[in-house]
Amino acid sequence: MMQSLTPDVEVRLSVGQCVRTLTTSKEKEEVTKTLHTLTSYLDDGPQSTITSAQRAEFSRAHYTRTLQFLISNINADWLHLLTVAQCTELWDGLFLRGPPDQTLLVLMDGISSMSSPSAGLDRLVSILERFLQSGRLTVLLWSRCQGNGPSDSPQLRETLLGRLVALPDLTANQLHHHNKTLFFPQQYYPLLARDMLTVLERTCQALRDGKDCSLTFVAQTLGKACVQGHSGLVFGVLAPRLSSCTRSDMVWQRVCWKLLENVPERWLESVLTGLVQAVNGPDALSRIMGNLVLKNKKAQFVITHKLLLLQYKYETRVLSIILGYLAKDRERRPLLIQVLRSLCQAWANPSAVRHTPLEQQLYVSRALLLCVGLLSDAELQALRSELLQCMLGGMQSHLDSSVVRVRRMGMVVGECLSSRMDVNGAKLKFEYEQDEETKELLSLMTPLSDDETELLDDRLDLPQEVKGQTVPSQAVPSQAASVAQKSGADPDSELDSDDELTPYDMSADQEMSQAAPPRYLRDCLEAFLSSEDPVRVDLSLRAIEGLVRKNTSTAREVSVELSKVLLHMEDRYNTVGFLSLRQAAMVALTVTDSVPVTEYLTTEFYSMNYSLRQRLDILEVLTMSAQELSQPITDKGGPSKAIQQVTTDTPLYPGDDPIHWRQVVERRIQSKTKRLSKGVTRPPAKPTPNRYAPVAGHFFFPLLRNYDRPQVTFDLLGGDHLVLGRLIHTLGLLMHLAVNAPVATQMGRALLDFVWAVRYHVDQTVRRGVLFAVCSVFLSMPSQSLLVELSDQLFETRAWLADVAEGDPDADCRNLAMQSLVLLEKSLKTELNPAALGLQS
Amino acid sequence: MARPAPAPLYTLRGAGSPLNALHFSCCEGDPPLLFSGSGQGSVHVWNLTTRRAERVLEGHSGASVIWLNTLHSKDTLISQGRDMRVCLWDLAEGRSDVTDTLWTGSVGFCRCSLLETGPGRWLLAHPGEAMEEVKIIDLPSKSPVCSLIPQAKLGMVMCIKLWQPDSSPGPLLLAGYEDGSLVLWDVSQRSVLSSAAAHPEPVMCLDFDPARQRGISGSSEKSLASWMLDGQHRLQLQQPVALVNPGISQLCIRGDRKIVASAGWDHRVRVFGWKKLRSLAVLQHHTDMVISLAFSDQQDPRNRLLAAGSKDQRISLWSIYNQGSDSDTGFSLRHAHSPLKHERADSRRAAQVRDYWPHIKAKHCKDKHSWVDLTEESST
Repeated sequence: MMQSLTPDVEVRLSVGQCVRTLTTSKEKEEVTKTLHTLTSYLDDGPQSTITSAQRAEFSRAHYTRTLQFLISNINADWLHLLTVAQCTELWDGLFLRGPPDQTLLVLMDGISSMSSPSAGLDRLVSILERFLQSGRLTVLLWSRCQGNGPSDSPQLRETLLGRLVALPDLTANQLHHHNKTLFFPQQYYPLLARDMLTVLERTCQALRDGKDCSLTFVAQTLGKACVQGHSGLVFGVLAPRLSSCTRSDMVWQRVCWKLLENVPERWLESVLTGLVQAVNGPDALSRIMGNLVLKNKKAQFVITHKLLLLQYKYETRVLSIILGYLAKDRERRPLLIQVLRSLCQAWANPSAVRHTPLEQQLYVSRALLLCVGLLSDAELQALRSELLQCMLGGMQSHLDSSVVRVRRMGMVVGECLSSRMDVNGAKLKFEYEQDEETKELLSLMTPLSDDETELLDDRLDLPQEVKGQTVPSQAVPSQAASVAQKSGADPDSELDSDDELTPYDMSADQEMSQAAPPRYLRDCLEAFLSSEDPVRVDLSLRAIEGLVRKNTSTAREVSVELSKVLLHMEDRYNTVGFLSLRQAAMVALTVTDSVPVTEYLTTEFYSMNYSLRQRLDILEVLTMSAQELSQPITDKGGPSKAIQQVTTDTPLYPGDDPIHWRQVVERRIQSKTKRLSKGVTRPPAKPTPNRYAPVAGHFFFPLLRNYDRPQVTFDLLGGDHLVLGRLIHTLGLLMHLAVNAPVATQMGRALLDFVWAVRYHVDQTVRRGVLFAVCSVFLSMPSQSLLVELSDQLFETRAWLADVAEGDPDADCRNLAMQSLVLLEKSLKTELNPAALGLQS
Repeated sequence: MARPAPAPLYTLRGAGSPLNALHFSCCEGDPPLLFSGSGQGSVHVWNLTTRRAERVLEGHSGASVIWLNTLHSKDTLISQGRDMRVCLWDLAEGRSDVTDTLWTGSVGFCRCSLLETGPGRWLLAHPGEAMEEVKIIDLPSKSPVCSLIPQAKLGMVMCIKLWQPDSSPGPLLLAGYEDGSLVLWDVSQRSVLSSAAAHPEPVMCLDFDPARQRGISGSSEKSLASWMLDGQHRLQLQQPVALVNPGISQLCIRGDRKIVASAGWDHRVRVFGWKKLRSLAVLQHHTDMVISLAFSDQQDPRNRLLAAGSKDQRISLWSIYNQGSDSDTGFSLRHAHSPLKHERADSRRAAQVRDYWPHIKAKHCKDKHSWVDLTEESST
């Protein structure tokens, strides 16, 4: 009985004696001796009298309390009796040699409970620093790996985990600006990762020696660090090493698989996303992860669904790694097929095309193409009907879109799919402009061959020092060769070129026509109506804008007729710049004779048998004319500016100074005058009447008249989204140009009424137009009348705008909504503030 | 973004008829002169400082003057008219007398070509009485040297160019004929060295660069023919240069052999780089076809002008590609030596031009009105 209690009681008595001595003693010798006694419980020196049972008992029951005692007496007098060396040896030694988990907990508690700044805190921080530097974390993790470790409570483990992972946060909170660089996340997490690697290496060794290890704690640490957002730093160290270690070593592979399997499910996602971003190839991922996707439901969900279909922030490299990983193994192959199916569905879904952000669609397209590129011919044959269906449906929904990029994406993906499926040798071929995006998509169809990726792997996996030696030696000669080639080719071309002479603009150098341009408006009209002579039509088209602007009175007589002819005109003779010439002529007509021409154009906009192009032309002409009318009159280029300058510059009499004396005097005065203000002095703008304000109504209201009457050829609220979007945009512009006009209030009211009905339109161009129109209403309408108009719907409008600003899939729409909200707030403020002040006073 | 198309420096008007011939005479010290020959037989002498016609010389009895040149100074003018005569003028000390005339007997449009063979001695090549004949006489003695008539039927001689190459003892003559062929004559041997069918249409004009042994010729088609002489004096056609509009009435290579200008029937003067015949500028000003061109021969390359005479009775003067021409040759040599220093050389050149620029500008101002430039400098 006595014997069984002995170590227990003995240790308790001894430690109690020590504590008492330390509390009361002022004797240096005594203090040193006591500290030696305590230290001797930690490690066995040669002449140690402590038995291992006593040592275990001390570690289990008394170590934490001893450390706590030391920390609470950190400012005690006896501590000052010791020399610095003794202090480091005995006092610090107690912290650095004991069980590291307890030390860490005590230290973190001590640091967070101490007042800052103080000498005691500094001491603890430096101990923690040494604790980390001397690899105690490795010891901590390793002690947890060995199955024989103390079975502790889940709470304790949880706390330890928290302290371990959140160490940078805790220290930063306590130390503020005096934080040590070692505790910065950039330093700490790589350190932690290196410690993990050491532990994993020891585990491998232990497994080879036939010992069992548990990786649960390491896995939990990894998971917790990742879920707190440090996966990049951790895997930046882990991934390259793991990838190179697992290349040939099966034990390492098993350790990696075990590690990932042991990560708790709630943290698995962040671990996996960190891992796939950090590894450098599908092979490496396959070696590290093994068949985790098959065993773990959560992992499967993350890899096959979440990363591909729900999130879209990852680079293409990550996508190819994930899909390549799925394709690598026979057992995982069915998952690839399953992924392909869901990608197909996501890509072809018309609702997704309309409602998801463009970036996500691009992401899915990339994934789809990569996926198809990885499939073997046999698999493709099996999936053919499904793919074909996906392709046709998806193409349709993409081509229906009014966004150019979406259409182009549809074309590229369609082309790629059809070429891969090889439907009886028939391939789709679209015409689209090549840009970075399409090129990238097209390039995805030819995946890097295995050798290449492996090569890439090798190079990246090489340990740092080896890399430093071998890679440059390979790279340098090739670089040198290319340089040599370049220099060999260049000098010749450089010498022969006319480079030093930069060419002038030669766009005016057109072919000369034989016939003389028409001089009268009616001649032009006649030519348009009856001439079969391409040259004459061409000349008339070129001359007409100038003629209209020159002869306003004649232009007024024929304005409507001429507008009609121009509107219906077709480019029969392939005239260069036909569209812009015709548009300029129509704008000139509208500007010259606004009321009748706008009346004609706005009526025609809603009448039968026009093509969409013509309707869009009408809108464009109206916008440009309104714009021109609203600007102050400026001299629109006479014959040629350069010539005019020449004629004005040439002196009238020989010897006459070309610069007028007044200018010279002016310039002298300028040069002698010192100006304190900065910026260019400008003559004040001359007030000119706004020509647009009186006719704004004629431009605006007729366009609002018939929008809800569908016709056989034209259904504004139905399928013709594009025109509706343009119409609303045009109305917004007309509204914007009418700022300060008396009619602006009515226009704003009508426009708000109109767009309210289509504010949740499915097409983003329409929504964009609506938001633009709303913006322009807020800008142009006097804020007072805005309040009156909006009073009923103010809150609804705000709620709608906030909704769009937050949730619209289109980035432009979100920005515009944000803008509108800001404008609305501003005008509300200006309107309400004076009133509120008035009430107060 | 290319620079906007250039505008003329100034125009001279008042000739009263189409301008068929232009010739600059710029001696140091005196104001630069421009001679122009009109369709009504008068020769205008323009002072380019005052930009006024100083004198009008009448000597071809109303027949149009198609070629002008000066002998050793601006005081001796030589003019060719369609009255079948070549006149020598004495313009010294305000005189304007015809000192000598030479009857050519040519009814065509072919311009003469003059070559200085020694101090005070020239060779003049002019079209002869027979349509395809080119005669060469010695000036000032007027003694005939030879007459060159091709064996083959080539039609009327259209344009000629006489020069003295370094390689052979006698001068060479290039002639363009009505059937579009070019013929290279050895004047001392009176023999054809080579010929080439450069154009399907009559050759309207040609110019030759003896230093590079390259030439260029124009016709009524939509392209320019360029060709070169190899070591054996054989004419070899090169890639033709396409034009936007057909018809070229004169071609002129600038003295520094950097650019070549063409007078177009399309009212435009085109400027090409001479090395690669890259199109550089289109000078648009005239309202009728441009007939004549001349580059001025000033000492200072920065003052060099291009004059273009047109059927619209005006002469336009242009200042084009005049900057930094003196430093360029030095730089290209440096390029040849150290190809790896391209970038440095380029930046150095840019820096040099930058340093140079205000200097050039100030100089320009000084030429015209020196006191204004002082105020400008003080203000900057």
